[in-house]
Amino acid sequence: MDWGVIPRNINFLLGGLVLTFELAFFAISGGLLFGIIMGLCRLSSRKWIYAPATFYVNFFRSLPLILVIFWFYFITPIIIGRPLGDFLSAIIAFIAFEAAIFAEIVRAGIQSIPKGQVMAGYSTGLSYVKTMRYIVIPQALRNMVPALVTNTVIIFQDTSLAYVIGVKEFLRRTHLVDSREIRSIELYAFAAVVYLILCFLGSTLGRRLEKKERR
Amino acid sequence: MLNYTFDWSVLWRPPYGKWFLDGILTTIQLSLLAWMIALFLGVTIGTMRVLPWRPVRLLGTTYVEVIRNIPILVQLFFWYFALPALLPRHIELWLYKNVSKFPFWIAALALGIYTASRVAEHIRSGLYSISKEHYQAAYSTGLSTFQVYRYVIIPYAMRIIMPPLTTEFVTIFKNSALAMTITVLEATGAAYLIDSYTFHGLETTTGACLVYISISICIAVFMGWVEKKISIPGLIVRKG
Amino acid sequence: MIQIKNVSLWYGKYRVLYNISEEIKKNTTVVICGPSGSGKSSLLRCINGLERFQEGQIFVDGKSVQDPSTHISELRADIGMVFQRFELYPHMSAIENITLAPMKVRGKSRKDTEAMAMSLLERVGIPEQARKYPGEMSGGQQQRVAIGRALAMEPKVMLFDEPTSALDPEMIREVLDVMINLSRSGMTMIVVTHEMGFAREVADEIIFIDEGKIIERSTDKQSFFENPQSERTKEFLSKILL
Repeated sequence: MDWGVIPRNINFLLGGLVLTFELAFFAISGGLLFGIIMGLCRLSSRKWIYAPATFYVNFFRSLPLILVIFWFYFITPIIIGRPLGDFLSAIIAFIAFEAAIFAEIVRAGIQSIPKGQVMAGYSTGLSYVKTMRYIVIPQALRNMVPALVTNTVIIFQDTSLAYVIGVKEFLRRTHLVDSREIRSIELYAFAAVVYLILCFLGSTLGRRLEKKERR
Repeated sequence: MLNYTFDWSVLWRPPYGKWFLDGILTTIQLSLLAWMIALFLGVTIGTMRVLPWRPVRLLGTTYVEVIRNIPILVQLFFWYFALPALLPRHIELWLYKNVSKFPFWIAALALGIYTASRVAEHIRSGLYSISKEHYQAAYSTGLSTFQVYRYVIIPYAMRIIMPPLTTEFVTIFKNSALAMTITVLEATGAAYLIDSYTFHGLETTTGACLVYISISICIAVFMGWVEKKISIPGLIVRKG
Repeated sequence: MIQIKNVSLWYGKYRVLYNISEEIKKNTTVVICGPSGSGKSSLLRCINGLERFQEGQIFVDGKSVQDPSTHISELRADIGMVFQRFELYPHMSAIENITLAPMKVRGKSRKDTEAMAMSLLERVGIPEQARKYPGEMSGGQQQRVAIGRALAMEPKVMLFDEPTSALDPEMIREVLDVMINLSRSGMTMIVVTHEMGFAREVADEIIFIDEGKIIERSTDKQSFFENPQSERTKEFLSKILL
């Protein structure tokens, strides 16, 4: 076993980690933004808002992310008229997919607030908007934090899928080094440990946040 | 819009049609095999986590925490690339020579092990949610430990655990798509392969999308029927 | 003050209220009693528009509840409601629970509202709980804060939906005392409750509802309890009075 392969290629590998973080950042922020909008649409009582949102969410939730990445890779050049880079294509795929996941988290969070709270707000003369703003959403956000953090960690892990359309994030670079140096055990063990540490830190942070919210 | 002529026949005309069909069958076989591994391992580990002996619980928790925090793709690569190199040389050679469809079995193993960690979590929280008083009430009527579990606890726990397990079942079908990265020709892999021959990736991946959506719908309908059949009146488990 | 005319309510195919008509005068305390599922809570919620009834009309102080052009939030600001499960906002302290609506709906300043809220907390007997959160208070204290929250909007009428049903027995008295004082101070109150002691003390009218219909009403407390007219009233009273 030659563990030296890791320090020899560390710059290359860590460069991939930077890309991983970038990918995750865009996926999370874009997904969260559209996810909140989509989640609220799912709660609407107007059919023309509710139906497309529900269709969108169920559509993406039944597909593997890897397939969604491929599909966007093929379809975005056709719609835009020119080929799109692999990084950009991956980001669009991630945002579209994660929006559906976040939408469900938001919807479940808001629905978990007992109806009695809404009625109490109304009974004091608060409008729908004010009731949502001061009573429902603050409580819903607190309930959503664990699921949001878990999903963030999952997105971080899923960035490795962008590998299949050539994005040179951390895992792909590990693979490239491996195909050059054939030190599979050392390299993949290293990758596993890096992910393990980062994700474990993320989950622990999430658990801390959850405990803090419980006054 | 880029000039693009659609050619949907890539999905059914020979030889591509057969590849696609084989891919769908492989997806189903892979997922079912991995599911059986996941159930067996997952139930074992999940139960381990609620047993009264600390080292046993610790073992279970370590398994879950380690497997859950490493991306499944990394685990897949580890089993496929790294593990054979760890084995003694002659076993490694024997594996590559004698075991046909080696990537298929590795994928099933990796997928099963990964999903087992999630199944274990659901089992644990399901068993956890049954209050101590429930056990006490059953014991107080004179039932033995085995009887308590068989007649009281497990039937009840099953109804609680079934919805999250159904979700995991759908997830395993989706995760099976990752096997394409280690050359398994399941549905997504087939779509990718046909594209490399015909350059009509849009049609093939759309076809693959339809496959997964159909699988999702079938499972949802089937499990909905099962849940209704075994549901206990008054016990609402699945939240809307 | 409140006119209820031929109100009927359906949940899908299930009919909850049958042609209810009633008039409630200002400064009176009306007690509504009846078995579970009789529709008494639903009737209460029709009055402030939390339930949308399909037939009939309700007028509160001359304003129509069912008219779509009525600004329902404004109407609700004039009607206070106290719920069985208190429904205090768990993420806000007692005083914040009370000041939320006056500040956000009527645009009052924080200083004025807090002063008013403190005086309300004193009126219900728990000024020391002002900065505590609902999770830190007992049920009786929470319900009293809830009454304060309802009073904060200076309503013309107060609706109580089984206010003591979710309380431990030793806390029922403190809430009822607040309600009795409120009644004696002249507030128009409609109270759905099983607490017949309360009814005997301050009710100006008692209504018995069963299966969505008003079975019996009486302005003479004595005769209602001792000599109920209908069989069903007799049966109900025999079950809840010791």
